[in-house]
Amino acid sequence: MTKREAFWYTVIILLLVITVLIALMVGATPLTLSQVWQAFSGHDSNNLATLSQIRLPRIVASLISGAMLAVAGALSQAAFHNYLADPSILGVTNVGSFLILIASFFLPSLYFGKLVFALIGGILTLLFLTSRSILQHSYKLIIIGVTISLTFSGFQQLFSGESLVSTNSFNGITWSDTITVFIIRLIGLAAAILLSPWANYLKMSNQQLETRGISARLIRICLLGLVVWLSSGVTAAVGVVPFIGIIVPNIVRFLVGRDYQTIVPLSMLMGAWLLLVADTIGRTVILPGEMPVATILTVVGGPFLIWLLWRQQFNAIK
Amino acid sequence: MQLNNVSFSYHQQAEIIHDVSADVTPGHILSIVGPNGAGKTTLSKLMTGELKPSRGAVMLDGEPLSQLTRKQRADQIAIVSQQNQLYDDMKVIDVVKMGRLAKHGLLAAIDDQEVAPYLAMTGLQSFANRPMSQLSGGQKQRVWIAAAIAQDPQYLFLDEPTTYLDIRYQTELMAIIEKLHRQQQMTIVMILHDINQAFRMSDDIWLIKAGKLVSTGQPNQFYDERSLSEIFNTAIRIVSIPDYGKYIVELPDGAN
Repeated sequence: MTKREAFWYTVIILLLVITVLIALMVGATPLTLSQVWQAFSGHDSNNLATLSQIRLPRIVASLISGAMLAVAGALSQAAFHNYLADPSILGVTNVGSFLILIASFFLPSLYFGKLVFALIGGILTLLFLTSRSILQHSYKLIIIGVTISLTFSGFQQLFSGESLVSTNSFNGITWSDTITVFIIRLIGLAAAILLSPWANYLKMSNQQLETRGISARLIRICLLGLVVWLSSGVTAAVGVVPFIGIIVPNIVRFLVGRDYQTIVPLSMLMGAWLLLVADTIGRTVILPGEMPVATILTVVGGPFLIWLLWRQQFNAIK
Repeated sequence: MQLNNVSFSYHQQAEIIHDVSADVTPGHILSIVGPNGAGKTTLSKLMTGELKPSRGAVMLDGEPLSQLTRKQRADQIAIVSQQNQLYDDMKVIDVVKMGRLAKHGLLAAIDDQEVAPYLAMTGLQSFANRPMSQLSGGQKQRVWIAAAIAQDPQYLFLDEPTTYLDIRYQTELMAIIEKLHRQQQMTIVMILHDINQAFRMSDDIWLIKAGKLVSTGQPNQFYDERSLSEIFNTAIRIVSIPDYGKYIVELPDGAN
């Protein structure tokens, strides 16, 4: 680990700890740090209930979801050779979300059904986007991806009769939701760290990999499989959360360089932090109401995306 | 490595390589020489297994190359092709490590020590942690050669390794290739644009024209103005330069 990497790991872990503490303190019943401490040490059962039953599961869910989205973004960018190729931009999550909605009309009470339909939607979208004619042109990939994304969020609004952003939120998330998310997703995150060298391998052309005895296809399928697994995991649990997968890996690249063995774990931490910040802001700015995290991220992520496009740095091919 | 009546065409179109039969002598440096469009790169891709012959077969240790797996081929054959761009920046040492994947497989973690000898052989020790984007053309080419020899192959294929390099880097690179050949007993197959370079470096020469293997032999057999003029379809003279030896020059149009 270089000094620079160590520095940024430290900074982001510190930010994470501070933000978790703040997220525990703020809300409809604001608590001081010592009240939080007293509650957890067993002196205040009232506050403990608030913290452990309402705030903590929500914090944990935000952290894991943020980590998953950021990692999905990083891996997807490696597989597509394109810094803008985030599942939320490419429509992967929107198609999944739409299928979940459709499925809810026919099979209402299916918990794992949500995950299954999000996965199917994601896989179908990626199969379409990895067709050769699209893969070869980086502009085409992004334009078609964004179009798919908009089209399906439009469909979703049409069928659900309400605006997309208001349907997804971490509001009311409970431990039982979080635990299920937790177990399944942690496997995906662990796999992402394990396979992060593969993202580096894809910097070589298929031909170059072939002559080194490696199947580029196999690597790409595994990484994109992981991308769908991670991003649809979040879609199934809380709906479409846009832009994390674009903002975080690109900032991380700027901070520590192009090695995916650092980009993946650091994106994980920074994604967790960013989503927690966004969600904490969302649930406190307009009390007693709540602003969906998707809205906040769109407000921040939109301009960021425009800035990236303006600088034309989305295409890793040089 | 043996080529038995190898022919090749893309999708039933006209043949690009016609009926080539020849042996590659182990431990030699072989250069494939011929005019542009003669099929040099196609022939070398047939020999590395990147292309499959439409007729005939390339045999490696008595087995058809086309029946070996990707991994088995990578174990024996390393390639430095003309196109070596990366989609994203990497450190020199990481590029070289990828050569070792041919020996270890996808899940291996390769440590720095293991690739140190290959960096040393190509004079890249002090560049190990530099990003590729900061290197010059000659340095980059050395990295690709280091990555290829990291595969520890029996056969090393180099397609126009000196193109785009200025004369100093060309000499430097050729010295590295010669050193590798001496130290590792590697069989080296090169396509060289510069015919004088090819003749000076090689133990064997294959002359090809219009997809046919015109003749094979040692370089000194080919210092013949008439046959070279015929193959390259231009007037060629051979001159003697003190401290260098025979040098092939192309005469300007109409000169005699």
